[in-house]
Amino acid sequence: MRHLKAVNEKAHRIEATQNDVVALQGGGSPLQPTGPHIPLGCTFVFAPGWETDSTGGTAGLCQPVERDLFDCHITCFWPAHVPDLYNYAPDWTGKCAAAQSDWRKIDLIFP
Amino acid sequence: MRIRLSILGASLCLFAGISSEAQGPGRGNTAQKWPPVRRDTTPGFVIREPLVIQRCGECHKPDSAGRMERLSYLRKSPEGWEISIRRMAALVGVGLQPSDARTIAKYLSNEQGLAPEEARPARFDAERRQLDYRYTADARTEGTCRACHSMGRVISQRRTRDEWELLVATHRAYYPDVDRQTFRRNGFGTDTGANAQHPMDIAIAHLARAFPLRTNEWATWSATMRAPRVDGTWLLSGTEPGHGAFTGRLTITKSATADDEFTTHATYRYVDDGKTVTRDGKSVVYTGFQWRGRSNEVGMHADSAWREVMFIEPGWQSISGRWFKGGYDEFGMDVSLTRLSTGVPVVAAVTPRSLRAGSANQMLTIIGANLPAGLAANAIDFGPGVHVDRVVHSGGDSISVLVRVDSGATNGARDLFVAGASLRSASVVYDKVHRIRVTPQAGLARVGGVNFPKQFEQFEATAFNNGPDGKPETADDIEIGPVKAAWNLEEYSATFDDDDVKFVGAIDQNGKFTPNIDGPNTKRSGNRNNIGDVWAVATYQGMKARALLLVTVPLYLRWEPWKGAP
Repeated sequence: MRHLKAVNEKAHRIEATQNDVVALQGGGSPLQPTGPHIPLGCTFVFAPGWETDSTGGTAGLCQPVERDLFDCHITCFWPAHVPDLYNYAPDWTGKCAAAQSDWRKIDLIFP
Repeated sequence: MRIRLSILGASLCLFAGISSEAQGPGRGNTAQKWPPVRRDTTPGFVIREPLVIQRCGECHKPDSAGRMERLSYLRKSPEGWEISIRRMAALVGVGLQPSDARTIAKYLSNEQGLAPEEARPARFDAERRQLDYRYTADARTEGTCRACHSMGRVISQRRTRDEWELLVATHRAYYPDVDRQTFRRNGFGTDTGANAQHPMDIAIAHLARAFPLRTNEWATWSATMRAPRVDGTWLLSGTEPGHGAFTGRLTITKSATADDEFTTHATYRYVDDGKTVTRDGKSVVYTGFQWRGRSNEVGMHADSAWREVMFIEPGWQSISGRWFKGGYDEFGMDVSLTRLSTGVPVVAAVTPRSLRAGSANQMLTIIGANLPAGLAANAIDFGPGVHVDRVVHSGGDSISVLVRVDSGATNGARDLFVAGASLRSASVVYDKVHRIRVTPQAGLARVGGVNFPKQFEQFEATAFNNGPDGKPETADDIEIGPVKAAWNLEEYSATFDDDDVKFVGAIDQNGKFTPNIDGPNTKRSGNRNNIGDVWAVATYQGMKARALLLVTVPLYLRWEPWKGAP
């Protein structure tokens, strides 16, 4: 960065950032965990995953998650995380015309 | 939640489609016929329980020997059988009274369960431990299965090869996307190599070899298996993250109606704050060693219920496991039980556990049971460099002593020997705290509280001495024990202008992280949820350590059988 001069707003923001973001993402600290967390032995190999993105963080997830619920439900993409249309919860989003505003109406499902 | 006929029809069509499609290259399976032709000739288990035959036999037809289709060719953990029964009720429409379901689950868990050696590697799953489990026997199988669920679900089952194939076929029927996601090479419909194996075929071959129906372990265990004689009084000890060590008693009483069902009464006291807890509970022991119980704190409201999952060691002298609660079973304590016999001394713990070299007049309490009165100082052996100067009290459940530690005492753990009882690594001598470490190193929390439960995370800071090599994070490091650290959150910068720390929640001075609420947050750009990645930072005597904390989205589907309706 020493030989580059910021000429637009985004570049100024990068200059103002205290942390070296690129270095952080490269695992510069020995304390920084490498690879995704695997709670209970389950991991998130899809890109993005349900709990984490492919780098093991949450920055790459579909956000807000409510925006994506219909697609997850209808395509049965997350069989262990989101109720699926085919099997356990065909009417899961029945009371939920627009997930982003009606998400409080959907139930937690116990198959 | 019963499935509609149209949906069931759709599932069956999908099943048929997959079966015919599965005859293509790389599958190696034949089209599904009923009853299926079994290529694996391992004899199944004869099922003798009339209720199983009556309620399951309409579909799972018994043969002339009493072997029932599918059922006789599986072994599973109690949770595995319970999930299967719930699936039969939810998707196939089997109407079962809860008492019948319990009888069926108990019979199958006992007669077609796991031996202790088989169940031990999968303990973490039933005990709901949030550890980073890796299945190392076959990385490709691990990749295929754990894309969606824990490998604990897999390694807690045993099946014939045909049954492993049918398990995969059932996954494909219920969840057709799995072909594209992980089961088939290059995704659905794009595999062209004549001899190439699909991930699911590799997994079937491995699982059939690694987890077969009949094993020496099961043959040996099932020959001696019986309801365990665990009634009596046990020394209870353990630790609860965030609350420290506790000790007490657990009294187990056999039920009047069944040899493998028990009631319990526990009383224990936390060493640090002196809080005393009394819990009453009930439990069932499956397969002769798998304790599944539930207990409530006496005088508290119903949500004080903790689930108890424990492993009774063969010989019935010790039991260990985890008691837990929480929306995601995230609060828990490690529990050990040691059988008490009249007059036989037992040592459970020493508090405080850490001893600084060169210190004097340090009060230690040895906690146990049946400890003799009037002990002399030289009868208590803490090992090299640690001297008992005076016995303040001895007898009953505790011994209090004043100790002196040589300034040149060697760093390291010490075994304790007193009155014929011993305790490995009872205390630890150190000259200096070199560093602290935060556990878990990778924490996980979930937003909640509005529509879905919150998942909390409890961190702990532990002090370490670097050991003889003087280098941190090496095998000879000496764990000194938990320390009372100051806690805060810091941003984990994953994007420019990352501001997760403002939204994800808060950590208290006990290391407990409480996530923010679920739902879109209109105050975040893009109405994002209150999720994000932050550091949980502990500070102790000028030393700092941190752990990555992921605060992520809720789960909308919960498979744990004890979470739903009874």
